Amino acid sequence: MEDLMKPLQVEKKYFTPGVIVLSLIALNGLVFLAGRFLFGIGAVTNLNNQYPWGIWIGVDVAAGVALAAGGFTTAALGHVMHREKYHAIIRPALLTAMLGYTFVALGVSVDIGRWYYIWHPLVFWNGNSALFEVGICVIMYVTTLYIEFLPIVTERFIGNVRLKSFFSFLNKPLNKFLRILDKGLAKVMFFFIILGVVLSTLHQSSLGTLMIIAGPKMHPLWQTPILPLLFLLSAISVGFPMVIFESLIASKSLGLKPEMEVLSSLGRIVPPILGIYLAFKIGDIVIRGTFVYLLQFNVQSVMFIIEVLFGAIIPLRMFLSETVLKSKILLFIASSLVIFGVLLNRINNFIIAYHPPYSYGAYYPSVGELSVTIGFIALLILAYRLIVINFPVISLPDKQYMIQTKFTIRGSQK
Amino acid sequence: MIRRIIFISLFVLINATLFGQAKVSKNHPLTGLTCKTCHSCNVPTSKDPCLNACPRAEMTTVNQTPAQSPEVEVMKELSNRYAPVVFPHRTHAQMSEMSGGCQTCHHFNTIGPIQPCINCHETKRQRDDISKPDLEAAYHQQCINCHREWSHRIDCTSCHAEKGSNESAAISSSIKKMTGKIHPEIAEPKKLIFETKYKSGKYVTFYHDEHVKVFGANCVDCHKQQNCSQCHDKGKATMIVTSLSGAPIKMHKPEQQHHKPCFSCHQDDKCSTCHLEKPSGPFNHEASTGWALNKFHENLSCSKCHGSVKKFEKLDPACTSCHNNFIQGKFDHSAAGLKLDENHSSLECENCHENKDFSKPPVCSSCHDDKNFPKDRPGKTVGKIPSKKIKSLK
Amino acid sequence: MQKQNRRDFLKTSAILSTAIAGLSTNKTKAKPKEILSEDRMGVLVDTTVCIGCRNCEWACKVAHELPTKPKESYSDRTAFKKLRRPSEGALTVVNEFSNPQNLNIPTDVKVQCMHCDHPSCVSACIVGAMSKEENGSVIWDTDKCIGCRYCMVACPFQVPSFQYDKALNPKIMKCDFCFERTKIGKLPACVEICPVETLTYGPRSELIKIARDKIKHNPDRYIDHIYGENEAGGTSWLYLANQDFAKIAFPNPGDKPMPGTSESIQHGIFAYFVPPVFFYAILGGIMWITKKRKEAE
Repeated sequence: MEDLMKPLQVEKKYFTPGVIVLSLIALNGLVFLAGRFLFGIGAVTNLNNQYPWGIWIGVDVAAGVALAAGGFTTAALGHVMHREKYHAIIRPALLTAMLGYTFVALGVSVDIGRWYYIWHPLVFWNGNSALFEVGICVIMYVTTLYIEFLPIVTERFIGNVRLKSFFSFLNKPLNKFLRILDKGLAKVMFFFIILGVVLSTLHQSSLGTLMIIAGPKMHPLWQTPILPLLFLLSAISVGFPMVIFESLIASKSLGLKPEMEVLSSLGRIVPPILGIYLAFKIGDIVIRGTFVYLLQFNVQSVMFIIEVLFGAIIPLRMFLSETVLKSKILLFIASSLVIFGVLLNRINNFIIAYHPPYSYGAYYPSVGELSVTIGFIALLILAYRLIVINFPVISLPDKQYMIQTKFTIRGSQK
Repeated sequence: MIRRIIFISLFVLINATLFGQAKVSKNHPLTGLTCKTCHSCNVPTSKDPCLNACPRAEMTTVNQTPAQSPEVEVMKELSNRYAPVVFPHRTHAQMSEMSGGCQTCHHFNTIGPIQPCINCHETKRQRDDISKPDLEAAYHQQCINCHREWSHRIDCTSCHAEKGSNESAAISSSIKKMTGKIHPEIAEPKKLIFETKYKSGKYVTFYHDEHVKVFGANCVDCHKQQNCSQCHDKGKATMIVTSLSGAPIKMHKPEQQHHKPCFSCHQDDKCSTCHLEKPSGPFNHEASTGWALNKFHENLSCSKCHGSVKKFEKLDPACTSCHNNFIQGKFDHSAAGLKLDENHSSLECENCHENKDFSKPPVCSSCHDDKNFPKDRPGKTVGKIPSKKIKSLK
Repeated sequence: MQKQNRRDFLKTSAILSTAIAGLSTNKTKAKPKEILSEDRMGVLVDTTVCIGCRNCEWACKVAHELPTKPKESYSDRTAFKKLRRPSEGALTVVNEFSNPQNLNIPTDVKVQCMHCDHPSCVSACIVGAMSKEENGSVIWDTDKCIGCRYCMVACPFQVPSFQYDKALNPKIMKCDFCFERTKIGKLPACVEICPVETLTYGPRSELIKIARDKIKHNPDRYIDHIYGENEAGGTSWLYLANQDFAKIAFPNPGDKPMPGTSESIQHGIFAYFVPPVFFYAILGGIMWITKKRKEAE
């Protein structure tokens, strides 16, 4: 079956009613974003000296990074372990990761007070800082992701460079350049693929190290020295469910037939990883004895239970069931639950568990913060749609003439 | 003579050796002084103790009554930001009587001459010895807590005048204002009856005047750290005054707090020493001890015989336990109102006073069959013979 | 990408791992300035002496060129009605608490940056904009800061504040121990103005001795605890009080340096870049073996 599938541009109109709604949501976010840049962070957020980090860090950055984990998990599976079967989903996952990390970078730029100094970590280094490690790794990983995506761009344009009138003389040299680039990239791509996996492992875990320094300011249910491990494990376990989730949504939205066979076998990989994560998570509160805090009834204990029950235990059971793996809708629900669990975990770690010593009241995200976050998500979806329509990302049933094109591109290497 | 010379030279020798080896005695640093009170250098040695000059003749120590102390002081060592401070010293000395006394401010200054604060407290904030506050802080730390305790304010201007052209006029006018001002006499209660919650020993009668006048207790023995705010509070219209009417006072503070002032002396006493079934009368030496005070004793302060005020000691009723001069040859008998004639002056005391019990009348019968005191006297009467002795004969 | 032989693979790997190894040596040198000098300075705050005149608040603002009302307005004691915290507009504030020993004399407590010996803000700062200076000050470098506010998350005392209302060049504001003043031999502004010398400025080791002496000679006046001697691994500012520090709004960060765990994890993961390179090598090995197997099929 997959032999007949090839990554192709999706032939669809860009604008649909859904796209227009998303555009409006994105526009709303951009308005608040303009407010942030014109009048300062205080103008649009509920952040204060007690709660310096809100959902822009907790959701846009921390959850964003975790949910873009599909990129490196599928790369590890498909490229490092050479499971050819999954090649069909590598490109969409790569695109999600690339866009995800781009928006993480944007989210960071919006949240930091001096966005124009975003390049400073490249120059001023502090090896003790977990955030520095996250920053450097994210910068490197974003670059890596763009490099990994480059072949898709070259594939799209080789033999297709058609600049208009004045620039038309460039067509030939550009085409040649693309060919050389493609050839070169193919040779070193393995390096970037492994690098991507290593960098992801590093910063996914360091993202967990971030909150350790907050010490007693963090609720004991979450504050643990193994936070980096938990972050890494949860990121790995959310990787495949995220791929399943977006494949199902994309196929629905683009009117394609989902590749259930690939998705089901992806789903089969989930339980062991999710199980290990759950074991560490439960083991941690048992060994540290912090499970006693679950007996108290407060926001923290309720959120912890929701996170573990709905985000890990229930989906784990679902992924173990063959019925779920075969059913589009159940598979979608199970994946959504894992995503929800990890999203909630990041929100819990960065917002719910964080209890500053002199808070005047709890932190709730402002309309501005929510608008920007939701706007970014809308923008991400719009960008995804734009790219899959214009670039060969999603695998579609092959057509003869496409094979021909393909042959000419790759054929040049032989 | 030779014996005398040897004795003197031995004495000199021994003392010289002792002083030569003199080390800082064990009690030396415990006397509440800082080194700087007496020594001018940082490391005094026995060879070079670098003692401050001590002009004993004109030395004024801190142990004075408020009346002896200076009336108004002008403190001008730090008058750079504000005008000098006019300080009504005597009024404050009076106030301190219920708290720490003179040493509240003149701390570490118990036996030497009065040290001005500036001797120890440096005028600059930036200094090497940071173990004690600088002068500004020393002044303020002494003054402010009492002031803010009753005024609840810490504004500078209640003590400081602004620096300016009419500075000296302002100072002289405030000196004038403060001169002659004294705290009105504090009304002392005669007795206080406390009604406790105990079933047996419900009443404690406290004779205030007795404790002061008879027992010789100092105010500070019981009134510990009571400053102005004990009675004065700017926020409240009336003064806080303890009931002077003599009506029983109900207990209103925790037991420990009620006991605290008494326990500085009465800590070892039984409950029943103070707690009685009904309000009790004033102190009676005979009733309490079984030993009546005669005219020679009734005007003595208690501590004369019983030692320190805080811990009166029980005495042996034998006269000679105190009067070690009640022996033949040492005692001038005319002090007892009777000048002994020649025949009797050489007798041992116990020849007439049986068992050396001088509280009983003398007995003549050991020598004379026909003589009887007080009809017959062994000499000339020079004063009044204690009536008690005569009474006991009747 | 599919077309690539073993020699290529090894060659490129070798070059790139050397590059990373080179990177790692640079990285370990780039630690923030973190000298824990023996004679670093500190301040002993005797809260039993403080009268709450708030002159220090005024002096601090003047010294740091922050807008302030006239000095006279600071005698307004209604400011004590609610607990205040150091903020971007006031780097130090005084709070008032009831005094169990004497209700007429409330306990006033000045708060500002504690200037930790092992500051978590210094450890946390992504660009090393925070540094612990030789004289004990923990200071902030405006030229490096990117405004990420991780220092605020990390600080156990919740001290650094941020100019949220500034769109351009917002600053992290916190007490800098008057670094610019002490550099030229002046006292910190608050220490200089304090009328009762609640604040004693001196070498930290000497201050601890003085504090111990004070406790020893006035056991009724102080509780036997020097806050800051061990808290968060020790701080340059030390406090004495007449009641439990929790009652006068001091957090209990424990006695271990705050950055301890995170730094050891951080250095454990990196350890001169050995674990990442090792991991890279393993992945490379797997990739190569599976590829071989695939080709064999």
